Amino acid sequence: MARRRKKNAEEGEVEANLIPVMNVMFLLIPALLLAMEVARFAAINVSPPKFAAQSEQKEEDKKKDEKPLNLKVFIMSDGYRVSASGQQAGAEGGKSADSSKPTIPLAKPGSDLKDFDRYDYAALEAKAQEYKRLYPHETVVTISAENDIPLQSIIKTMDSLRGRDCKLMNAVSGNEEVPAECLFWSPIVEAGAG
Amino acid sequence: MSDPSQLTAQQAAQEAFLAKKKAKKAARRNNALEEANLNITSLMDVVSIIVVYLLKSYGTDPVVITPTAGQKVPMSRADAPIQDGVPVYVSQRSITFGSQRIVQLDENGDVDPTQVQGQLIAPLFDEMSVEAERSKQTAAAKGEEWEGTVILVGDQNLKFSTLVKVMYTAGKAEYSQYAFCVIQING
Repeated sequence: MARRRKKNAEEGEVEANLIPVMNVMFLLIPALLLAMEVARFAAINVSPPKFAAQSEQKEEDKKKDEKPLNLKVFIMSDGYRVSASGQQAGAEGGKSADSSKPTIPLAKPGSDLKDFDRYDYAALEAKAQEYKRLYPHETVVTISAENDIPLQSIIKTMDSLRGRDCKLMNAVSGNEEVPAECLFWSPIVEAGAG
Repeated sequence: MSDPSQLTAQQAAQEAFLAKKKAKKAARRNNALEEANLNITSLMDVVSIIVVYLLKSYGTDPVVITPTAGQKVPMSRADAPIQDGVPVYVSQRSITFGSQRIVQLDENGDVDPTQVQGQLIAPLFDEMSVEAERSKQTAAAKGEEWEGTVILVGDQNLKFSTLVKVMYTAGKAEYSQYAFCVIQING
């Protein structure tokens, strides 16, 4: 009996050697830190033209009384050409488009294409707000650009058309509806502007 | 003048003190080294919590985006999370799909005309078709509906013409949904 008690007491003093486990843990930490995203990534969901046409058709069925806006923004090297319902904003009377001058000229005329702030994003957002007031149910905008326009300028254009205060995180997760601050948040990327 | 008997007594006391000190030193030297126990349990707790936190944040991302070397992902105010999909990396020098460099771009960021049929980038189409077929079979085995989603991880300076070609190719390979990957900025 006494011997068993002594044996138990000896067993109680045994300590697990945690050093190898610690070694593994310390290796795991830098490995996981390296695998983690340093920057926070987000997504801009874009529709190809054929699917957008279908969704537009559905929207038309829902709101037959509302004339479709068909908003299009062309990113050209000299500025934006914005057209709605087949009519370019700012074009001369009687003309559907005016290729000689843009609807919204450059904010920095003469700047390089790689200068991503060369476009007047604030003016484009103001224009989008004007259209949104007239067509509150419209969410789709078709974006096209000249061949040499860099992706960052296209992304910034999408940001302006979506609206400064538009937060889509909850809407995309399916928890909430799209906030009223969002203007044209469903972009279609289309080739053919140049 | 001090008394010689007093001096002798002082010397004797000093010697006795030194002898005692020496004996103590010798005893200390003969003692076996005590094992120092480092208590690492609390450290272990902290490290475990860090590892679990890192594993959890690693596991919640549906797609791990690892841009290719030298690629600058565009910045945006968009906040929508990245949905599950297949990433296509388009840097200024190459198009990478499934961790494999598929197409080399020239110094202007254009696709080699010999590899393009109209708007279709042939080598990319082949790879994407194979992947689409594989994903469809996996989805069918799970009894789920396949949603062909492509995550386009482009470079800031990627030309629109190249972007359109990649999107067209993905569309031909039956990928019907697109998302541009961006780095989220505030304000």
